[in-house]
Amino acid sequence: MYKRRMVAFNILRGLAAIILALAVAAIFIFLASDEPFEALKQLLIAPLVSFRGETAAFNVQSLYQILALMIPTMFTGLGVCVMFSADMFNLGGEGAVMAGGFVAALIGIYLPMPAGVHPVVAVLVGALVGGLVTLIPALLRVKVGASEMVSSLMFNYVVMYIIMHYLNNVFADRSKGSTQSFPFIETVKIPQLVTGGSRLTYGFLIALVFVVITAIFMYRTRWGYQIRMIGINSNFAKYSGMSVASTLILAQFIGGLLSGMGGAIEVLGRYNTFLWKELPGYGWTGITIAILARNNPAFVPFAAFFLAYLDRGCQLMSTHSDVPSEMIAIIQASIFLFFAAEQFLSGARQKLVVKNAKDELAAMEAETAQEGK
Amino acid sequence: MGAANETAQNIELAVDMRNISKVYPNGIAANQNVNFSVRKGEIHALIGENGAGKSTLVKMLFGMEQATEGEIFINGKEVQLTSPAQAIEHGIGMVHQHLMLVPSLTVAENMVLGMPPKKGIAIDYQAAVRMTTEIAERYHFNIDAEKRVMDIPVGMKQKIEILKALLRGAEILILDEPTAVLTSNETVELFQQLRHLRDNGFTIIFISHRLNEIKELTDRMTIMRGGRFMGVHDTAGISEQEISRLMVGRDVLLELEKDQANPQELVLSVENVSYTNEWNKLMLDNVSFDVRAGEIVGIAGVEGNGQKELVDILFGLRNAHTGEVKVNNESILGKSQRVIREMGVSLIPEDRMLYGIAATGSITDNILADRYGNKEYNAGPFFKTKKIQKDTEQLIKEYRIVARNQSQQVDMLSGGNIQKVVVAREFSSCPNLIIADQPTRGIDVGATEFIRKRLLDLSREGAAVLLVSADLSEVMEMSDRLLIFYGGEIVASFDQTSTLTDEVMGEYMLGLRRQDKKELEEDAYV
Amino acid sequence: MSGFWSTVFNADFVFAIFRITAPILFAALGAIIAEKAGVTNIGLDGMMSISALFGTLISYWTQSWLVGVLGAVLVGMILGLMMGFFALRLRTDIILTGIAMNMLGGGGTIFLLYMFTGLRGNTSSLSSPNILIPTLNIPVLKDIPVLGSIFSGHSVLTYLAFILVFVVRFMLNRTSTGLNIRAVGENSDAARSVGISVKRVQYIALIMSGALAGFGGAFMSMYYSQSWNVGMIAGRGFIALAAEAMGRSQPVGAMFSSLIFGFAQALETRVSGIQGVSSFLVAAIPYLVTIIGLVVFVWSSRRKADKRRRQISTSDWE
Repeated sequence: MYKRRMVAFNILRGLAAIILALAVAAIFIFLASDEPFEALKQLLIAPLVSFRGETAAFNVQSLYQILALMIPTMFTGLGVCVMFSADMFNLGGEGAVMAGGFVAALIGIYLPMPAGVHPVVAVLVGALVGGLVTLIPALLRVKVGASEMVSSLMFNYVVMYIIMHYLNNVFADRSKGSTQSFPFIETVKIPQLVTGGSRLTYGFLIALVFVVITAIFMYRTRWGYQIRMIGINSNFAKYSGMSVASTLILAQFIGGLLSGMGGAIEVLGRYNTFLWKELPGYGWTGITIAILARNNPAFVPFAAFFLAYLDRGCQLMSTHSDVPSEMIAIIQASIFLFFAAEQFLSGARQKLVVKNAKDELAAMEAETAQEGK
Repeated sequence: MGAANETAQNIELAVDMRNISKVYPNGIAANQNVNFSVRKGEIHALIGENGAGKSTLVKMLFGMEQATEGEIFINGKEVQLTSPAQAIEHGIGMVHQHLMLVPSLTVAENMVLGMPPKKGIAIDYQAAVRMTTEIAERYHFNIDAEKRVMDIPVGMKQKIEILKALLRGAEILILDEPTAVLTSNETVELFQQLRHLRDNGFTIIFISHRLNEIKELTDRMTIMRGGRFMGVHDTAGISEQEISRLMVGRDVLLELEKDQANPQELVLSVENVSYTNEWNKLMLDNVSFDVRAGEIVGIAGVEGNGQKELVDILFGLRNAHTGEVKVNNESILGKSQRVIREMGVSLIPEDRMLYGIAATGSITDNILADRYGNKEYNAGPFFKTKKIQKDTEQLIKEYRIVARNQSQQVDMLSGGNIQKVVVAREFSSCPNLIIADQPTRGIDVGATEFIRKRLLDLSREGAAVLLVSADLSEVMEMSDRLLIFYGGEIVASFDQTSTLTDEVMGEYMLGLRRQDKKELEEDAYV
Repeated sequence: MSGFWSTVFNADFVFAIFRITAPILFAALGAIIAEKAGVTNIGLDGMMSISALFGTLISYWTQSWLVGVLGAVLVGMILGLMMGFFALRLRTDIILTGIAMNMLGGGGTIFLLYMFTGLRGNTSSLSSPNILIPTLNIPVLKDIPVLGSIFSGHSVLTYLAFILVFVVRFMLNRTSTGLNIRAVGENSDAARSVGISVKRVQYIALIMSGALAGFGGAFMSMYYSQSWNVGMIAGRGFIALAAEAMGRSQPVGAMFSSLIFGFAQALETRVSGIQGVSSFLVAAIPYLVTIIGLVVFVWSSRRKADKRRRQISTSDWE
């Protein structure tokens, strides 16, 4: 009873945050656009419904594109869930994505392997490199006490410039007009799941598998358990006999591993050659996803879908109306802020808690009365 | 009665709190119908054990808490004190137990914080230094106004707190256990200064539970026990024995049936342990004792006499400076909590919210904390969830934890049930040695009784139990042997607790008596 | 080789260091004030980006660089107020609030630019020399060889950045606002016990932090790049955070760590044209230096704290 009520309340509160954020977006659209209703329609409805004249139809290709957008962000979202669960603000996911993608690309270009093995090796090595990227700020924090937040932010740039150096000066395909690597060997590419130009690859299924794996890891293994307990109360964890430092490092490594894997799968699935020239931004989206999912891996696909839907909506809005796609940043920031706000609707929550406490007392009294008989 | 009225009219009262009651929102009645009056120009002790309601009373006087019932008069006028700022306005100043200073600011800057003298837009720092030095000189305090607070010793910090209150025009000074962190030299100096202040017309309320200090310093005293007023006395006219009788006492005797202990092999041995804290105060002075399987050894004492430090050392949270601690003949000093637990030690920590539980975790999460790595709960990399659930369910039943189900968040439970979760975990790991630090503090009678019973059962089944408690009835009822701590030393040791009276206990706990070496040795080692 | 040294290390080079340091310094000072009040502001990067945009727009609308700069500062202050509202009123985690601010600074600015002007991505079509922040040639100094070409001819805001180091130091150490800020950050109970409103002080600190980010933003769009474009802040807000940490939250310390970054980046622009030197690896140096600096300073300040504790204890024994 009590639990159901709180869950219902939390869902309502989340919805309220989303509606408020969309209302903010709508205000900006009305300010910016000459055709606000068209823009809103594109943003909210068009991602799944296509319009031809008067008739509306379910747009399956567009759905595929949304699902494709979820591939890297599910991975980074999972990674951030693990890292933040340990109560460490490691923002190195961004660097891990790029490093994972780059190393996987190199393996895809220069190391010929049999068809089945090639992508697996490339993705695993990419993941490992991603893990190393988030491991370093974690070590600096645990061993020296340097803020993991600042050092991971700086480290993202270091990673980016090192990759840019190798891309430009060592691995560049000079025959092309823009900076990019040589094309991948066909064997390394992650195959398409559906036909058409959606770029929805088997990576999506792998991502879902990792949602399950990460959820099991966090809730059904001793390591995930330790990570969660340290995140809740590290004093308690230490007193109970857990090794806090090594668990913290493990959590950050796994977070990077997942992000790096996301980068590798995205690069090998979406492109034919490595052409990222800056940090791709999936790491930041991953943080939003983790916030929406409240660090619970099981909710990551839903949060990722929601953000991908909005992303797609913003893209459509910018193609079919006069509102630029970067609107997404404003919506995302608003949702983020209201969702993470402890005091948002706290008055209502307080009332609910008081009501629950009263019910509980009444129930207990009834129970004791029964026992007395 | 008539005589008392006359005196009241003749002598001006600086503080007069009448019929004060305070019930906290969680239902704890901290003060019940307390009368507290302090004369102008006296040093008045407020004395009582921990939990007697002293702090609550002075918090209301300083505007930090509001009374549920009762009136407060300052200098004869009724006042409403709803914030510290208002209390300051009425000439009340308080020196908190946790010092309210900003480390990186200088002494002078701390002095004038919130009300600095200005020169244009800047603080007139020279004026602040001048004000500080002037007031320090006026009251014969020797401080360096330009040093940063982080660079000065704790005794000096306390003087600054007193001066801060004086600078803000305080005429009534409340000092909350000011000597707890001071070395003896610093204490002597503080007392001289307080006397000097009294002679200059200031009124001082001095909270303590150290009889010798109170005898030495104060003019009158108000005694509290269990949230109630136990009388007001002239310090000169009351014996220490009488104070300790009024202050220390058992409220209700819970009947507990206890068999004779049958001590077996040695489990815990503490040999010559000394510990000096970070301010160089000697907190444990050459402490030695043993605990054997099958017996409960109680440690009684007023808080702050080294018990907390001892428990921390036994559980590897602090390092002893000298001495040796052995469990089953193996040293535990310098070992991690995991290793200590693996040696069969369980701990019920004093601060259950900080060390005992993960508040937003489920009951299952909290039960699992010391056994998540056990073979019986793991199949390869995975938890055996069913087994874990079954065992948790079993423990919830066995320990009568009132909860909806095992996935309920622990911080949604009542205090007694939270403690039962801790106890269920610590008792169910088949420990050789249980260290129970204030196991029943602040929880309801039902849970208290239950936990005591379980502890007793475990000892009779062969566990060695070390029980540290400020609750006199608890240690006296439960212990097979009893040690009394005072000033970081064991001052008394008893093989029989049934013949002990509260009066005798109180005298040992408050440092009025101590056993000689021979008596101690006879009883400390069985 | 001597040719290399003379093309790299000359008066122009030193001039460039100061120019590059200025925006980081503004933001680092903003980071210090917020940090001192106990509200870590990791949203500086976004704040700079947004106020940079408004600086350009306002200067274009009013055709006055001065109003543009003041507008950027005002926008920064409003953003600080906004962070305060979410972090202090609605109790969103201050770090997450900062991350949201950075999101707004990323894509949000492109949207805002379009909303106000219909332009996409940059404002180069709006810029004209008369609305850029002017440079100052300092009489007498400008005629001294070498020194003149290093210290004269900077923009007004470059000078201001270095002046503000001492203003902020003065504010933190010598004004009651500053003492309140430090009291709140170090021991909020102590502040409360003498009647200081903790929330109010934290609001003020975030607003000041925003104002400084506003100066930094205006410097970037109205002087450094001469127009606003996406990604122009390039993590300077984050570097400022590192400079703050490296400088142990002291304005002068942060100035020196900002100068180290300025030096590294000036070096990058210099050597990137030279054969055989990878501009990208050089570009990574400032960030790497920041990490190393951070580690060294945290480590050494830890040792210092230990030493101090020991000293106090021994004096206590005597």
